[in-house]
Amino acid sequence: MALQAGRLSGRCSEPLGRCVVTSIGLNLGRRTEAVLQHYRSSILLARLEGRSSLKEIEPHLFADEESPVHGDILEFHGAEGTGKTEMLYHLTARCILPKSEGGLEVEVVFIDTDYHFDMLRLVTVLEHRLSQSSEETVRCCLGRLFLLYCGGSTQLLLTLCSLQTMLCSHPSVCLLILDSLSAFYWIDRANGGESVNLQESTLKKCSQLLEKLVNEYRLVLFATTQSIMQKASNPEEGPSCAFNRPGDVDVDYRPYLCKAWQQVVKRRILFSKQNDSKAGNQFSLVSRHLKSNNLKKHFFTIGESGVEFC
Amino acid sequence: MGVLRAGLCPGLTQDMVQLLKSGGIKTVVELVSADLEEVAQKCGLSYKALVALRRVLLAQFSAFPFNGADLYEELKTTTAILSTGIGSLDKLLDAGLYTGEVTEIVGAPGSGKTQVCLCVAANVAHGLQQNVLYIDSNGGLTASRILQLLQARTLDEEEQAGALQRIQVVRAFDIFQMLGALQDLRGAVSQQVRSSSGTLKVVVVDSVAAVVAPLLGGQQREGLALMVQLARELKTLARDLSVAVLVTNHMTRDRDSGQLKPALGRSWSFVPSTRLLLDSTQGSGSLGSRRVACLTKSPRLPTGCQETVDLGSWGTPAFQGDHKGHWEQSPVFQGDHT
Repeated sequence: MALQAGRLSGRCSEPLGRCVVTSIGLNLGRRTEAVLQHYRSSILLARLEGRSSLKEIEPHLFADEESPVHGDILEFHGAEGTGKTEMLYHLTARCILPKSEGGLEVEVVFIDTDYHFDMLRLVTVLEHRLSQSSEETVRCCLGRLFLLYCGGSTQLLLTLCSLQTMLCSHPSVCLLILDSLSAFYWIDRANGGESVNLQESTLKKCSQLLEKLVNEYRLVLFATTQSIMQKASNPEEGPSCAFNRPGDVDVDYRPYLCKAWQQVVKRRILFSKQNDSKAGNQFSLVSRHLKSNNLKKHFFTIGESGVEFC
Repeated sequence: MGVLRAGLCPGLTQDMVQLLKSGGIKTVVELVSADLEEVAQKCGLSYKALVALRRVLLAQFSAFPFNGADLYEELKTTTAILSTGIGSLDKLLDAGLYTGEVTEIVGAPGSGKTQVCLCVAANVAHGLQQNVLYIDSNGGLTASRILQLLQARTLDEEEQAGALQRIQVVRAFDIFQMLGALQDLRGAVSQQVRSSSGTLKVVVVDSVAAVVAPLLGGQQREGLALMVQLARELKTLARDLSVAVLVTNHMTRDRDSGQLKPALGRSWSFVPSTRLLLDSTQGSGSLGSRRVACLTKSPRLPTGCQETVDLGSWGTPAFQGDHKGHWEQSPVFQGDHT
């Protein structure tokens, strides 16, 4: 067993997916699986040390001291038409564009749960950002994007389970996007019957799995949740009271997803659209770091080339 | 997906299912998220076999990762833009209805939503020579009106008949009938029921609020789950079959502000990718046939653009022309005019 382990650590340049297949073929027992698992993570960690950090992913949004570090989970929350998906396209474009065009040249995994992803829009954003946009360069950028469509919360859970193998074989994946996490909320509630635990069980497992994936593979997760609950009729009561300090944000936030998800989120970004006619199509977002309770407000507009910060 | 049973995936035998059940593992999710060592001890199955089973189940039921470049190539060949036949609406929709997307038309009663749907159906059936599925839950569709619209485009009766044949009408007055109709459509397409006249390109649902609104309200959550299920059906249909889905929706008043907003609540508002608001113009002194269409949600264009749409000019038969002009310019009456 020691000889085999030594051989594996020596071959760390090989895709780890192949190591997994080899282990099954060699009739190894459960203890060796555990050892392999340990080696898998340590080899991965060793390989990822030299990776470009995501500090530059959006300098306007993430000031230096609050940049998303590996293992961060950020939640985008907002009503319809407030720019969450556009922001995701903006961040995706930043990641998949080549370094020569101002991108980070890393790979992105995009999990789409409500068939919302508009490839044509992403291509338009890329074409506007590339200095010379040709079919070849666009295709090359898109080659760094992986899309998964999930039809239900069970499929989401199974997809997250099998994402491990995929992440092993694609070491340059830095960003995981989930649009949106709340797509199955009503269906899960109806299927779970009367027991709240049953209703939330799949989402709870998904949240735990997401945290594990993000920590093990040192990713950053951006997950969107839709604002589907009505505003609290009395602003003083309810969970939104934390926001009603004077001079504070005007966005309502009512947490409705399971506690397990609330606990893994490190930063919550609330999106809203400005309603004054002279501001035109201006959007705003409030970024709140949940541990340090740090609040920051930003404004942006959405143009042909995507999100532009003011 | 869900419950483990023999034959669900290669390598899963009835004996294995029984052994797993005795150990408390009944569903795919339970097996995949369980600690396989414990399960091996409890059920008497080998750890190796469980790991292999888990791998096969994951490969079979989890989502397949598509590469962005491949998906883009596929979309370039399958996406089509279908003109609605109304110039001003085409301008707002960036050339027309896009296949693979759900477009919503919202308006108060009498604002012309059904007329727009009928016009789109007539245009696609006659002008673009493609098939249309029209799911009517309002009773607003009459064949004579479609005939009128077609007669305004062509006087050739053969062409009119051909176009009428391309429009398939299904009446669905509750949500289960509507879901059934969509399932039937999938079945027909999967069996490759070939129709000689063209491929299905547009599915019109007029209106979705009529079947969903009775389910909402009150404390029961099943209504919302059904609505979300219908929404997912429509979106996956649009994506999988490369059709453009056009739905209509009513307006309701907001509880707090008293302003008009699209019905069916927040959960539905995320579903369409494009939304057009039809509004009657106020006090324009018109004959009441003019509407203002406003783009309130779009993945491609900035929102807030408005265009005027004249309903009165559709469907007047070609030989009649403009009503006022005919009577004034007709030589018979000119002669009598003294």
